[in-house]
Amino acid sequence: MSLVARRYTPQIIVTIIILLSIAFYYLYINRDVAGAFSTADKALSDWAVIITSFALIVGGIDILRFHLTKVRKEGLKQAPFSLVSIGLLVTMVIFALIGWYISYSNPAAGIAITTQPQFRWLYLNLYAPADAAVYSILVFYIASASYRAFRVRNPMALLLLVTALIVVFGNTTIGGVVWPGFLPLRDWIMTVPNTAAFRPITIGAGLGTVVLGLRLLTWRETSWMGRRE
Amino acid sequence: MSGVSYIEKILGSRELLYTLLLLSVILPIIHPLGIPIEVSKRTRDVYSYIETNLRQECHVYIEVYYEVAARGELEPNLIALTKHLFDKNCKIVYGSLSAFGVIAFSLFRSMASDLFEDKVYGRDYVYLGYIAGGEAAAASLARSIKGTISVDNFGNRLEDLPLMKEVDKATDFNLVVIASSGTDVFAYYVRQWHTPYNVPLLFAALSVIAPSIEPFVGAKQAVGMLVGQRSAAEYEVLVGRLGLGIASMDAQSTSHMLIVAFIGIGNILYWGKRLSSRRGGGK
Repeated sequence: MSLVARRYTPQIIVTIIILLSIAFYYLYINRDVAGAFSTADKALSDWAVIITSFALIVGGIDILRFHLTKVRKEGLKQAPFSLVSIGLLVTMVIFALIGWYISYSNPAAGIAITTQPQFRWLYLNLYAPADAAVYSILVFYIASASYRAFRVRNPMALLLLVTALIVVFGNTTIGGVVWPGFLPLRDWIMTVPNTAAFRPITIGAGLGTVVLGLRLLTWRETSWMGRRE
Repeated sequence: MSGVSYIEKILGSRELLYTLLLLSVILPIIHPLGIPIEVSKRTRDVYSYIETNLRQECHVYIEVYYEVAARGELEPNLIALTKHLFDKNCKIVYGSLSAFGVIAFSLFRSMASDLFEDKVYGRDYVYLGYIAGGEAAAASLARSIKGTISVDNFGNRLEDLPLMKEVDKATDFNLVVIASSGTDVFAYYVRQWHTPYNVPLLFAALSVIAPSIEPFVGAKQAVGMLVGQRSAAEYEVLVGRLGLGIASMDAQSTSHMLIVAFIGIGNILYWGKRLSSRRGGGK
């Protein structure tokens, strides 16, 4: 593939998109300009929605390819796990396609992809409990970690512990029984010291995004094309 | 083995802590302790905002952006808010920028079936379903919902739904509620709905992510924030529909207190060992 197709074409597309996005977001000088921009602006964001939808299909194919490659390399050791993943992926896609077909062939039935009965059943009875269970396990790790790690080794650790205790007591009903002041004190910690700490992080992340945009615009950022230069 | 080390070994066993933690969560749910709950100023402010600023038959957009794992904290908030909005005869458009949102909405809808009993789908509320595209989708929806998607989650054409004839773009909504377990989506709505169109935003967030989005509330980019189970329980008290939020508060209290107790014991043992080793070293 030529250098133009591999490198310059994607970079030119990205540059145009960045410039248009900046123009559409920041150059709303007056209603006339906004009106002139609105159609193109809407088209641009619609493209993003469409591309993302197709990216989901690419993601599905990639998972399939990943597991097939893994089974080929690792053999029987990996096969059962990959087989379950592939099986579930294919099953969900089949039921989704049935739902999609019904939604077009018989719209009056009110069945779409996510409301297709088998798709919904699998989602509700297989995925949902598994997701909730995995997240619930975290509480045991947190409890165990807090017992082992929350040691007052120095004054800073003491400050951290006191702050944590105020927030914990403020988050529980029993805290209000012990001392009614926990709740307003928790709110103060969240709104004043916490905001003071997080605002620079938010601003820093924003500035980082601007820098990334500038690097993309000046063709200095190429890692998104799969290469580091 | 010294006494301190022996106690530390017993308390340090994961089995004991895990069993006690499990009991501290399950027992208060079976036998509620009925600890009274005080409504915080922040939750009351959110309630007052809706009471005073939203007129009858107003239009509200609600982003359902959480997975099943976060359901315990966010669903009670969503139910209580929906109850409050329906009490004011507000019309609600639900949407999800996350694929998980579809199942979250389905579960929320079945848990709050009493709220939807006298509501007509399409006239009083609509669920758009999953809209792919992240922030770009949020931007597109702000400009035109019907221009972004043509059918709702159930395959109905949006132009056939009476509610969707009344609303289409960000400025058609009096309030946008974002119930999310991820931090990014709050920023999407701040950037794409609040900044260009000045639409009021209200956040419902997990306790663990609330600190990171607090700056938006402090900067008045959101009218308020409901944080986790505690806010849900408080809001349930305010709207007069006690549910999962208030039911889980006792369990939250006992499990938190257990963790606090273990932190305290851990520190006593740590300092006991440290002081005894110092004394031993001095001999």
